[in-house]
Amino acid sequence: MTQSAAATSATRAVGGALERLPPPTSLLLVAGAAGLLVGSLRSEVFAQLTVQGLALGAVYGSLALALVLVYRATRVVNFAQGELAMATTYIAYQLIKWGLSYWEAFFATLAIAFVLGTVLELALVRPVQHRSVIAAVIVTVGLFILIDGVVNWIWGGDFKYMPTPFGTKTYHLGGVSIARLYPGMLGVVLVSVVLVWALFRFTKLGLGMRAAALRPAESALVGVRVDWMLAIGWGLAAVLGAVAGLMAEPSQFFLDPTLMQPILVYAFAAAVLGGLESPAGAVVGGLAIGVSLNLVVQYVHPITSELQTPFAFAVLLAVLLLKPSGLFGHREVRRV
Amino acid sequence: MAVNRRKVGALVCALLATAAAASVAAASHTSTPGVSKNKIVIGGTFPLTGFASAYKTIPAAEAAYYAYVNAHGGVFHRKITDIILDDQYDPSQTVPQTTKLVEQNHVFAVVGSLGTAPILSTWNYLNKNKVPQVLVATGDAYWGNCVHHGCQGSTKPWTLGWQPDYPSEAKLYAHYILAHKASAKIGVLYQNDAYGKNYLAGLKTGLGSHAGQIVDAESYNFGDSAQVIAAHVVKLRAVGADTFVIFATPTATIQSLVARTLIGWSPLTFVNNVSANRVFELAAAKSGANLDGIISTGYVASQTLQPNLPGMKLAKQIIHTYQPALDQDFAAGDLNLVYGLASAWTFVDALKHAGKNLTRAGLMKALRHMNEPKNPFVYPGISIKTSAKRTFPMEQLVMTKWSGGASGDWHPFGKIVNVGH
Amino acid sequence: MKRRLPALVSLLAVCGVLAALPFLLGNYNVSLAARVGIYFIAVLGLNILTGYTGQISIGHGAFMAVGGYTTAVMSRDHHTSLILTMLLAFAICFVLGLLVGLPALRLSGVYLALATFAFAVSVPQLPLKWSKFLGGRDGVQTSRTVSHTWLYGAAWTTSAIGFVLAWLILRGRVGRAFRAVRDSEIAAVASGIELPVYKTLAFGISAAYAGVAGSLFVLATNGFAAPDEFGVVLSLQLLVGAAVAGLGSLWGVLAGAVFVGLLPTVSSSVPVIGSNHGRDVVFGAAVVLVMLLLPGGFAGLLARLRRFAGA
Repeated sequence: MTQSAAATSATRAVGGALERLPPPTSLLLVAGAAGLLVGSLRSEVFAQLTVQGLALGAVYGSLALALVLVYRATRVVNFAQGELAMATTYIAYQLIKWGLSYWEAFFATLAIAFVLGTVLELALVRPVQHRSVIAAVIVTVGLFILIDGVVNWIWGGDFKYMPTPFGTKTYHLGGVSIARLYPGMLGVVLVSVVLVWALFRFTKLGLGMRAAALRPAESALVGVRVDWMLAIGWGLAAVLGAVAGLMAEPSQFFLDPTLMQPILVYAFAAAVLGGLESPAGAVVGGLAIGVSLNLVVQYVHPITSELQTPFAFAVLLAVLLLKPSGLFGHREVRRV
Repeated sequence: MAVNRRKVGALVCALLATAAAASVAAASHTSTPGVSKNKIVIGGTFPLTGFASAYKTIPAAEAAYYAYVNAHGGVFHRKITDIILDDQYDPSQTVPQTTKLVEQNHVFAVVGSLGTAPILSTWNYLNKNKVPQVLVATGDAYWGNCVHHGCQGSTKPWTLGWQPDYPSEAKLYAHYILAHKASAKIGVLYQNDAYGKNYLAGLKTGLGSHAGQIVDAESYNFGDSAQVIAAHVVKLRAVGADTFVIFATPTATIQSLVARTLIGWSPLTFVNNVSANRVFELAAAKSGANLDGIISTGYVASQTLQPNLPGMKLAKQIIHTYQPALDQDFAAGDLNLVYGLASAWTFVDALKHAGKNLTRAGLMKALRHMNEPKNPFVYPGISIKTSAKRTFPMEQLVMTKWSGGASGDWHPFGKIVNVGH
Repeated sequence: MKRRLPALVSLLAVCGVLAALPFLLGNYNVSLAARVGIYFIAVLGLNILTGYTGQISIGHGAFMAVGGYTTAVMSRDHHTSLILTMLLAFAICFVLGLLVGLPALRLSGVYLALATFAFAVSVPQLPLKWSKFLGGRDGVQTSRTVSHTWLYGAAWTTSAIGFVLAWLILRGRVGRAFRAVRDSEIAAVASGIELPVYKTLAFGISAAYAGVAGSLFVLATNGFAAPDEFGVVLSLQLLVGAAVAGLGSLWGVLAGAVFVGLLPTVSSSVPVIGSNHGRDVVFGAAVVLVMLLLPGGFAGLLARLRRFAGA
């Protein structure tokens, strides 16, 4: 594909995506973005909370995207996605301890995560996936507990310190102090998400994966190795999870096994908010939840920080009840 | 049918016989559980895994000290066995683990258990059964206040604390502020539970009529993300505070120290001594926190600042001999290790004073009439004392200030202060 | 009649063993056996919801929390008799379960699992918000504590009552409706079954069982209720218990209760991995293995064995 053709295709894709959005959703997004901009210009606190919220929201979005990928491919919600992300972060920690530089360890970890995700799908999910939703859910629950136990066994539960990937520099934009950490987190996640999107959109492999998820029987007839596509889907999800974990760690300033546990709840809320079948929705949902959590806790006084997870739950519930297909999803009518 | 009846009858008889035998076996006990001619069995619950597991070096140090004592003949020729069980800081696990220690392991005493909520979940049971619950690793004021006064319906004479209590520590910070920055506008970040609230109450008491100088007190919950903590810090700065007091557990302390530097705020800062373990501050510095000038308090000696004290040399040797995996941690300045050694030293001292004829009541008597001016692991000059009137073993602190930047340390200044009750 | 006799005999045998156990086991082991009884009640309730009406809930730990706190607060503030608090917990959680069941009607499968998961994570936060009344992080203490034997008796008596109640519900019209809902909602509606009524009822019943289990759970923790006791892992354990139990068998529920009540404690005595890490590693691995090898749970295994023996 030539460069201009690729650019045209990309623009068309984005335009197409926006067109496909139901009008209220795109309006909501534009209004929200405008509101954030105005608020940031007027108040330093608002600006800092927004930047931090977007950065954290990117992490939630990355994990949410992993959940959506897995769900689209195998119809399973992987309750262990967060713990897997945490475990891969520990692997990065260990690699750094063994002498690799941060970014060397980062990329090596992504590769290891890919392999782990693929292996997990082949070994644990494939055997039970067809039997019942509940059996697959329980397997991922068991995996949650097992991974947590193994990490505690190998590394212990106390704090570990990893070098900061973005240094400790702080930018000063018009009176607002923004640590380089936050734009860094946002940047890394967005780049990863765009790369994965490009993989799906422009490569033959990506086409095969989309086909295998949507119409497995027909794809098999056309020669798509459906089995492998599903496994690769899990592998990619694990990579996205690893990115989420590696970006969550510096935001917390240290590594410990509970790193991803609260994030899992927010990722679920983000995935549902965006629509469990929509990758773009997962990322936008994550950003929305990240920012709104920060702002709500700061400015809506009855909602204090204890109520953060209940707030995310309320969002999740509201979406499921009012618009179950999420902001970006399509309605699936099933009346009984 | 007659055959069946006989079978049933035989079965019933067998059951009854077994029951009788079992109850007889269960009834036979030595007069003092956990004490035999050459052994003393003790135990405790600690968060060895889970979010509070940073504290697991405390029981490791205690075990090392008991191993050292055993290698030197034990106490009256009895060797100490310490059973360390994990409760993950979860009271619903503390209870069965403590039950196990008392009813299955038949420990002589429950020593050094960690955490306010875990202790609160077991103190009724232990006091009811007259099992010593001593030298608990938390600075809550309950352990001193509830000896003679009823708490939750009864006094708790079998429970004893050790470290200086949190409200007294907070009073010290208040006095320092009044003496050195009389017009301070104080912003407080505290944990939303008894731990944090007691600190805040102590600060207010210490400030007395100046308590109004607290312009804002923000509470956070244990487990809140770094961003929530940062939002509180942002708020405190926004309301104009120029003095920042942090009453938090180490995680949140590290996060607030980093947050305050990242937003470009440099107030006079106080952290509680639970969070003043050097390794925590080093971690905060690695993430960009500016530490110079932060004030805290201490009560154990520091292996990094006072390595030539005989106690610190002994500490290094004990850790190296019995817990060599923790050598690096010790060298980095993990004060939990010194805490553990000091607490174990107190226990062994009490055992010696309880005499050869060791009973639970005898142990409590020794612990309630302690006079330890020279615990080698405690900050020189601080003594551990109890009496009928004094139910808090440690009532002295030394003020410390951080200097040396990202590889610095806590440097004590001024005299040892008596916080009293 | 004749086919029922062996079942009755084995049931009586179980009752006999349960009655004799406190006299045979040491005090500590009695407390473990009581724990199994508590999980039995909760898993039985969850099994009614999940096994019989096919609704997945990863939130029943939250109902246990409500039940547990009901007991703790009533006992602390009003010195209410403990049995009365258990009945209160049953009633309150039944109503709460109905209320939760209503929005749950619009969710299915994975979505319901997610929503109940978020419910389980959120509810333990509430005592932190209303800490004056609900004790915050430092918990609520009952005014009375009970012995291991009391707990054992209460847990297994409640289990027996719960089991009889469940048996009565499930063998009648309600049970048939439940099974119809599980097998095919569309067919059930076509046969005239009012889905909302039965699905919500199932939620209410299972929540009520969890509530009573929660009361006993707090009593087993020396009457101390604190948020740390009701983490999401509790809800996960209950679901694992129900899955291991499989559906349609009392023995299954017993196996499920033993699995989640005892295995974590036993796992901590596993060598090599170390007593304090073995817990989660062994338990987690066991859960994965059981679901891979026995997706029908223990009840499925029993059915297979019966077919094997009977054929």
